[in-house]
Amino acid sequence: MEVVNLSAFAVVLGLAAALDRQVLRSGPVSLWGGFLYADALSSLIVLLTAFVSLVCSIYAVGYFRHDEQNTVFLKDEDVLGEIAGKKLRKYYSLMPLFVFSMLLVALANNLGVLWVAIEGTTLASVFLVTFYGRETSLEAAWKYAIIGGVGLSMALFGTILTYYAAHRFAGIETLAGLNWSVLVGNAAQLDKPTMRLAFILILLGYGTKAGIAPMHTWKPDAYSEAPVPVAAMLATGVLNCALYGLVRFYILTSKCLGPQFAAQLLIVFGLLSVGVAVPFVLVQRSFRRLLAYSSVEHCGIMVLALGFGGPLGILGMFLHMTFHAVTKPLLFFCAGNIQQHLNTELFRKAKGGLIHSMPWTGAAFLMGTLAVTGSPPFSLFQSEFTILRAAFGGGYFLPAILFVAFLVAIFSGFLVHIANLVLGADPGLPPAETCRWKKYSVLGLASVIIVMGFWIPGPLFRLIQGAADIVVSAR
Amino acid sequence: MSFIHDPQFGDKMITLMAALVLVLQISMVGQRWLMTNIRIFALQSFLLAAIACTIAVFNHANHLYIAALLTLILKALVLPVILARLVERVGIPQEIEPLINVPLSILISGGLTLVGYVVAESFYHPEETSASAALGHNTLAIAIALFLIGFFTTLNRRKALTQVLGLLSMENGLFLAAISLMYGMPLVVELGIFFDVLLAVMVLGILVYRIGETFDSMDVSKLRRLRG
Repeated sequence: MEVVNLSAFAVVLGLAAALDRQVLRSGPVSLWGGFLYADALSSLIVLLTAFVSLVCSIYAVGYFRHDEQNTVFLKDEDVLGEIAGKKLRKYYSLMPLFVFSMLLVALANNLGVLWVAIEGTTLASVFLVTFYGRETSLEAAWKYAIIGGVGLSMALFGTILTYYAAHRFAGIETLAGLNWSVLVGNAAQLDKPTMRLAFILILLGYGTKAGIAPMHTWKPDAYSEAPVPVAAMLATGVLNCALYGLVRFYILTSKCLGPQFAAQLLIVFGLLSVGVAVPFVLVQRSFRRLLAYSSVEHCGIMVLALGFGGPLGILGMFLHMTFHAVTKPLLFFCAGNIQQHLNTELFRKAKGGLIHSMPWTGAAFLMGTLAVTGSPPFSLFQSEFTILRAAFGGGYFLPAILFVAFLVAIFSGFLVHIANLVLGADPGLPPAETCRWKKYSVLGLASVIIVMGFWIPGPLFRLIQGAADIVVSAR
Repeated sequence: MSFIHDPQFGDKMITLMAALVLVLQISMVGQRWLMTNIRIFALQSFLLAAIACTIAVFNHANHLYIAALLTLILKALVLPVILARLVERVGIPQEIEPLINVPLSILISGGLTLVGYVVAESFYHPEETSASAALGHNTLAIAIALFLIGFFTTLNRRKALTQVLGLLSMENGLFLAAISLMYGMPLVVELGIFFDVLLAVMVLGILVYRIGETFDSMDVSKLRRLRG
């Protein structure tokens, strides 16, 4: 199962790269009579999803082998009583479905199909969240499914209203009425009051799925209960997909109503998300939940960047999305290694000094922390700086100042927590980095992050630029 | 059979059925037994299928027949059976204990219906109203009311299964909105949504079953170990 999964995700990444080449060379591609459609924006999402799923499946090999050897699956806590083999089969069959729906989100031309695919990502991942079968994982999965379900029905309402706006007012015929390639050309004729309501519903709906405050409450639970590779996928893949849905509707709304209406809403929700993350990061007791609040923060930053708008803001958003998708899995992998080593996710029970028993993971965790909180020379600093410049350039002084204050608070809280965990006197634990899969996936990803701090591959940057151009040209 | 071609008659039929759907929704908020709740949902879905069928007849919207048939089979028959069997297997106590008491809940539902009418008013464009497009002015208001009341029900219920019912009636509201605004979504989207709803009920059903086995209660307000 491991080999099949790994090779399949490697093939997907290869295909994603081929798609990107094609899009960069000759513009948007479509297939099956316009059912599938890829421009620079969707192929960026495809590339990120493919990358993250490959990295996660490499890590998963070592992670689940460790679980299997330590018979984590057969503890009394498990209320489902499933044996290890069955659980792993479940993981290795649901994960491809999960990734498939994410790819469909990015590639669907029809906005209704996009909704169906986003709902599909929830349905495919609910049983991945219950993987360990603890009471708490049932609770997390229930919150995830119900909050996600309510949120997505709002998004469906928004989609229906968009279809109505197109159908009734722009006179687009029924069959292609929700196709992106048709809608975007006619966006200016859409009915304005309808689109206003539709965008609010879409923001609430896909915002719930992306986890912006105040609809983020499922996030810490699901991220801390799911197995690490799944949590990393939720934090990067699903987040990107939900934001992708939001961006598509943002383009339509800005074309129809002008950018100001959407921008105000996005800035409020974005700032709220970054702000809500601050207290929870500062007083956090569990390092898995800490990562979830960091994800709320980063989601907020991207929404904020979209709200600031302008060529710089949009470029900053896609840069941030790319860098975040590369950096976040590293933190999850390090947290997973530490959790498996100590059998706890609480700072209180971990005595510190992990650098002595797991030098590579400890160092990578510290480095990842610096990277994810946006300190130079790491790439997230560049994107956050770009976003900040967009904010000042657009005249959003108060939001920009609040944004910086929140970032500083999160930086200090995050760094103190992780430094206490990693540094300090040797508590005398046995050396733990025996598994090559776990070690090298951390090291490999860490080196990618270091390289990206100084150099972005030309085609990747052109892809990001292309994605930003699609959004900017809508204004 | 001349009345079949009279749009006035169709409009009246649809309004009547939509009103019944709304009454059913409010009675779902008002009554206390889980099984009855599931039956009300089945009846409501049956009426929705009938509305879809009527709109299809009067507007010659042939793809709506498929949506009507799917609603009939899936939402009026299959889903209620799945849910009822789940109730039997888990042995969920029959009585629903809402967080807000029944009279107040019904008042709130009434208020939400008003909100639905206010919101729907902004979509009404009398100057464009031809005879057949007049279908569904009232229906949109009812659809929005269904959506809002479904949302309220989901929040107001303690038991896992009744939250699923709230979610499903939200979806019913969306279906009504889609057929009354523009005679349904494109077929591929419609099929996708039906597929998702079916899968969602199965996934949530399995979760409900496991929660019931684990916690010896379906009360999700007892799920509160994860904090901060």
